[in-house]
Amino acid sequence: MKKHGTTRRGFLASTAAIGAAGVFSGLPMPVFAQSGNVLRLRIDGDNDTLDPGFMTGGTEIEAQKQCLPFLAQYTRQGGGFAWEPTYFVNRLEQRDQLHIDFELAEGLVWSNGYGPVRASDVKFSYERMKDTDWSGYFEAMERIDVTGDRTGTIVLNKPFAPFIMITLCHGPGAVLCEQAVNDAGGRFTTSFPAVCGPYIYEATPGQRAVFTANPEWTGPAPDFERVECNVISEVRAAELAYEAGELDCTEVSADALARYGVDMPDNTAITVAGELQYMWMGMNTEHPKLQDIRVRRAIQHAVDVDSILLGAYSGTTSKSAGIICPGLIGHRESTDAYSYDPAAARALLEEAGVAGLELTLRTLNNQERLLAAQIIQANLGEIGVSVTVLPMDSGPFWDMGQESKGDTWQELELWLMRFGTTPDPYEATSWFVSEQVGVWNWERWTSEEYDRLYEAGIAETDPAARAVIYRRMQEVMDETGAYVWINHEPEAFVHTTNVAVNAAPSGELNYRRFGVT
Amino acid sequence: MLAYLIKRLGLALAVICTVVLVLFSLLYLIPGDPATIALGPRATPEAIARYAERMHLDEPIWRQFLIYIGNAFTGDLGVDIFSERPVTAIILDRLGFTLALVCAAMGWAMLIGIPLGCLSAVMPNTAVDRITGVLSVSTIAIPSFLVSIWALLIFAVELRWLPAIGAGEPGETLDQLSHLVLPAFAVGLSWVGYLARMVRASMLEVMGETYIRSARAFGLRPRKVVFGYALRVAILPTITLIGMGFGGLISSTVFAEIIFARPGIGKLIFDSVMARNFPVVQGGVIVATTLYILVVLISDILIAWFDPRVRESL
Repeated sequence: MKKHGTTRRGFLASTAAIGAAGVFSGLPMPVFAQSGNVLRLRIDGDNDTLDPGFMTGGTEIEAQKQCLPFLAQYTRQGGGFAWEPTYFVNRLEQRDQLHIDFELAEGLVWSNGYGPVRASDVKFSYERMKDTDWSGYFEAMERIDVTGDRTGTIVLNKPFAPFIMITLCHGPGAVLCEQAVNDAGGRFTTSFPAVCGPYIYEATPGQRAVFTANPEWTGPAPDFERVECNVISEVRAAELAYEAGELDCTEVSADALARYGVDMPDNTAITVAGELQYMWMGMNTEHPKLQDIRVRRAIQHAVDVDSILLGAYSGTTSKSAGIICPGLIGHRESTDAYSYDPAAARALLEEAGVAGLELTLRTLNNQERLLAAQIIQANLGEIGVSVTVLPMDSGPFWDMGQESKGDTWQELELWLMRFGTTPDPYEATSWFVSEQVGVWNWERWTSEEYDRLYEAGIAETDPAARAVIYRRMQEVMDETGAYVWINHEPEAFVHTTNVAVNAAPSGELNYRRFGVT
Repeated sequence: MLAYLIKRLGLALAVICTVVLVLFSLLYLIPGDPATIALGPRATPEAIARYAERMHLDEPIWRQFLIYIGNAFTGDLGVDIFSERPVTAIILDRLGFTLALVCAAMGWAMLIGIPLGCLSAVMPNTAVDRITGVLSVSTIAIPSFLVSIWALLIFAVELRWLPAIGAGEPGETLDQLSHLVLPAFAVGLSWVGYLARMVRASMLEVMGETYIRSARAFGLRPRKVVFGYALRVAILPTITLIGMGFGGLISSTVFAEIIFARPGIGKLIFDSVMARNFPVVQGGVIVATTLYILVVLISDILIAWFDPRVRESL
């Protein structure tokens, strides 16, 4: 009689079959590959909050630039940056220090049947920003007066020269559809309630964000019909993906930039968007070991910044002389306050009567910063200062100088810091005013002159006068002896030679303005 | 068998509950306000208030735990603090990719490793055995992230035979399979060595048993003796190893997922830790742990199924 039931062999065979089916069941049937002009890029993570009021920034701003109207956009002017009106406006002009008039272009239409783009949408979008995470960008804005269906005036509450440059050109300057946002409950996260731009947006979390042509868009067509942004969290993985031919453009690290400088892959070019990052070694002027300015000056003279640029950054970054980055009003090529001079450093220490000084240098735990810290450690060792390098993770690092986050600020001695900034000098200077002591001014100095110049720089509209103000502010910082300026890291992109890259000075790509060469 | 099954299920459930308790407690063991810890330094007071209300932070802790565990068992693991998407949906989006990678990696490792182990065992102390031994130890010794990078450099960058990044175009089966090859190779390589060594050791032990000698004495063909009798018994400890390895790979594929930019549960947890997205970290760890326990449970049950001595011992 034949035996029925499950045998072990049968069980194994069935399990294997079910396992195989399980692996492949999630894989749908083949479809035809997409055709047309495709641009393949990298994003470093999912776009979790597309709402300009609550976004993180970065690639979320990139998405907004493709799908939402902006009144102004960045443009290069000589070696610097300026702004120009976008396609979305017929007119954008600063009438006086407190009024900016705008007129929207005709024929702009929101998707999903939300009708034309109106001046009231601009009013809604910008006035709601005052109650969001990005309200600081609208601090100088009083209100928006709507004067017609497509016309209005942005009214400022104080003269604020960089408003167009840093607010209207940047992510917070996105215009939303009032009705669509209200229908979505007042805010949105991973999809736009309505778009008006050359692309519509769709994302597969963890994999990619895809921009495809917006059928309702009547403006100038972008060069690429489809843009695929692959989620690649690690910059080095993205570099390898570029070298494997799977990306057309990606940001590169300092290592790769140096490598490509020596051995550029075929059909490849490098584009530098801007150098809006400034790095320095800070000193706590209130710490007992560093209260004497002669000690701080000795440290300034002891650090060989050129060695750091070569050793840690492979010569790919420009030497810094302050917080105002290259291309911005007030940028300095050099500082007269100090230079690499170990003999002068030793003399200053001797004059201060300091011997056997031991200091701790805190830094973020990444390759370039650690190398920089080790070079500084060796430099200071040469003048008899013993330095302990303390690598830190980003959480505690960014908290350590803030009084509201604990007591570490009292123990701070030396640290390596890098800030990013906008294409106007005002923002970089804002972190060092007196009220920022214990917040972001970890060097803990105050200067009435600096505070006064900060207000003057915001109100002044003449570029030449602003340059004088911002240069003087950096001199004031030099006089504290609390800074060793190190470098400005570039936002560099490697790309195929048939692609013309368009990026904001701070590194956000604008896919709609990419070109085919 | 049923009693064994009930005992193992109860134990698995207890372990899962313990993990949930530990993860829940972490939020309170870290100094500071749980809402601020969960949302990170960027959080606005409004966001903190919304989070506190949603997570029932105004309730007593024991009640919060009961609510959390109750929600977890109904599949509600909270919401992502940035995108406000349900954590369960986010995890389910990624889980299939990790399971596919783990199955493919372990699958090819078994296909190569088990026959290699058998070959070594039937030809002990020969050149084949020594070469297999050296290869096995070598594959065990090389870390999977190193294999990932080299595989990527050779097969994707230099030769351009296989894709470097991603999980393939949604809807294109062949494309998705081609994107699986390199990560599965990288993750599975060390398991070839593990399995070969384990099968060899077990086989050598079994091949010395009297019933194998009897089978040979009866004139059975060597292939029948090896695969029909010896391997059936020798495979039992290997099943345990595969079960544990399968479970461990669910979370340890993170290197391959990062290097090959593949979506997956390991990368999700890693990214969420970096972004301090605590609900997703909690949910991801719970799901990974539960899967691990389930796979180990299944391998234990399989062992008991194959070997009556195991179930009788409990």
